Amino acid sequence: MAGMTSAAPGRHYLDVWGVAKSFRGTRVMSGMNFRMDRGELVSLLGPSGCGKTTLLRIIAGLMEADEGDVVLGGRNITRLPAHRRNISVVFQNYALFPHLTVAENVAFGLRARGTAKSACAGPVEEALRLVRMDAFATRPVSALSGGQQQRVAVARALVVQPDLLLLDEPFSALDRKLRETMQVELKALLRDRGITAIFVTHDQEEAMGVSDRIAVMNAGRIEQFADPSTLYARPATPFVMDFVGLSMRLGGRVVESGGQTCIVETAHGRISAPGGFAPGTAVQVGVRPELVAPGTGENTIRVELADAMVLGSKTVLHGAAQEGDRLICEMPGIRTGLARGDAVDLGWSVADTLIHEAAA
Amino acid sequence: MSGRLDRIGLLAVPALGFLAVVYALPLAMLLAKSVQGPDGFSLAEYRAFFADEYNLRVLFRTLRVAALTTALAFVIAYPTAFAMSRAKGIWLTVFLVALVLPMSLGVVVKAFAWSILFRANGVLNSALMGLGLTERPVRMLFTETALVVGAANVFLPFMVLPIYSVIRQLDARLPEAAASLGATPWFRFTRVTLPLTLPGVVAGSAFVFSLAVSMYVIPSLIVGERQQNLSMLIARSFLFLRNEALGSTLAAILLAIAIAVVLGSGWAAARLGARR
Ligand SMILES: Nc1ncnc2c1ncn2[C@@H]1O[C@H](COP(=O)(O)OP(=O)(O)OP(=O)(O)O)[C@@H](O)[C@H]1O
Ligand SMILES: [Mg+2]
Repeated sequence: MAGMTSAAPGRHYLDVWGVAKSFRGTRVMSGMNFRMDRGELVSLLGPSGCGKTTLLRIIAGLMEADEGDVVLGGRNITRLPAHRRNISVVFQNYALFPHLTVAENVAFGLRARGTAKSACAGPVEEALRLVRMDAFATRPVSALSGGQQQRVAVARALVVQPDLLLLDEPFSALDRKLRETMQVELKALLRDRGITAIFVTHDQEEAMGVSDRIAVMNAGRIEQFADPSTLYARPATPFVMDFVGLSMRLGGRVVESGGQTCIVETAHGRISAPGGFAPGTAVQVGVRPELVAPGTGENTIRVELADAMVLGSKTVLHGAAQEGDRLICEMPGIRTGLARGDAVDLGWSVADTLIHEAAA
Repeated sequence: MSGRLDRIGLLAVPALGFLAVVYALPLAMLLAKSVQGPDGFSLAEYRAFFADEYNLRVLFRTLRVAALTTALAFVIAYPTAFAMSRAKGIWLTVFLVALVLPMSLGVVVKAFAWSILFRANGVLNSALMGLGLTERPVRMLFTETALVVGAANVFLPFMVLPIYSVIRQLDARLPEAAASLGATPWFRFTRVTLPLTLPGVVAGSAFVFSLAVSMYVIPSLIVGERQQNLSMLIARSFLFLRNEALGSTLAAILLAIAIAVVLGSGWAAARLGARR
């Protein structure tokens, strides 16, 4: 797969190898391989129920895999209980201890490791300062807002200097504006301290903004594991193309194949695409909407406008499409003079055309 | 706003009236007797009570049996409540039926069932002697141990159910968060699970202690007259001694204990809840 680093097991900082998991006889994950390097920030991105939390819990030791191994820093930790792994988790609802104050929550991990109460004060204060919550140290956690609770959860997870930090949708309970601020803050914090972290989300923009690499998951498998730009420009599967960013999408069948390019018959005419698919293959072609422009190009289709939306920073054209297809074109700035019902040509280059074998 | 509240408040009138007539009024009359001397108000009855060593022994025994019963019920109920919180479907039903059904059996039936188990030629002693662990039958019936065991058995549901309802609301992620922070199972239990389930323990203990401190039928059946508790003493004062002043004094003391338990548990619950 594009962008997937393949190397011998054990060479990486974290190496999840051949993991399988069933719940009451239903397989939700099998043959899962997942590797990352020290200091990397990786996102697990995928729709609800695809197994992100399951994978995270198996890595943390909160759930046992049916098969497979987890190796961290060269040590096989598969059979190690969670409390001996030194892997911190920030939970989706933060899971702060309601009977403890902010400072006591942060000190919990240190106390659990046998640090004397007096020796906790320094590190706890530093961790709280790091997340700008030092003024709240003596408050009960129930008196905090969602964003503040989230910061405390991060401080609590970091104060023990974990070998790996796992975050399960840490921003999903926050409103959009706060979420964006927190993303920037957290990324800077983890970078500065060189922390290796896995970050679960089903928001593709969040994943692209926060992480070095993204593992796109679907139905218990990793569809593609790559850096954000590769993921966007060269999605390895139709699922990734659809899930990461918007795209024009047309179903069709290969009618001619000339080695480097092939020609696909679609509901909107013939389209050339890079790739050597055999004639007769059912495929899905696509292109990112900002690479499409009104007018003719190397590939051109004629569409009837279903809508022209002026959004300020961009104008988006939607074409009337048959079931399963999507016709979309984005232009920077404000464009007027286009209306529903107009017939327009949309063009783009062959090189920008994405093509995948259609999912069976 | 107040009109609406008032009308809803009216719904409490039947209960208040009922309580006033059958509970508060007779109780007040009873308590009045305990401070009534030959010529007006007098604490003589109380002085007399606390001067008598026998009475103090009864009082102390009553409190001790209630405390031991509460402790035993807690030790059995706490793990049971956890098992129940994990149980699903048919097993949960089995648990609940096993808890609630014996309550409908009544104490008398239970007490006679125990005597089959505990008496000199009973099941337990036969087993002990058969195994050669003892030569003569061990005295079990008519002991304080038997009383505590029996009382804990009868009052167990009142400990299990409040703890169970608290555990069911416990966020399962909290012990997990503790584990991921390096806490051993013991540390997780003592620092997270136990403190968060204490409100249930407090409620259950208040129930069981109140019931055990005032129980009458169970000790009458298991230990009889030779080890009296407060309730038995009260009954004797009224029924046999015809000493209403003593009886109402004892009743007032029992009431004071009950009030202390209610206030104490309320205070504990508030303290536990204050940080949430
Ligand atoms: N304890 C469980 N018992 C039964 N099935 C489970 C359990 N935990 C997860 N599953 C199933 O496993 C699959 C993966 O669940 P998981 O929680 O890992 O998804 P997710 O990717 O984290 O989803 P979301 O984005 O909604 O959190 C789902 O189909 C879910 O129903
Ligand atoms: Mg999840």
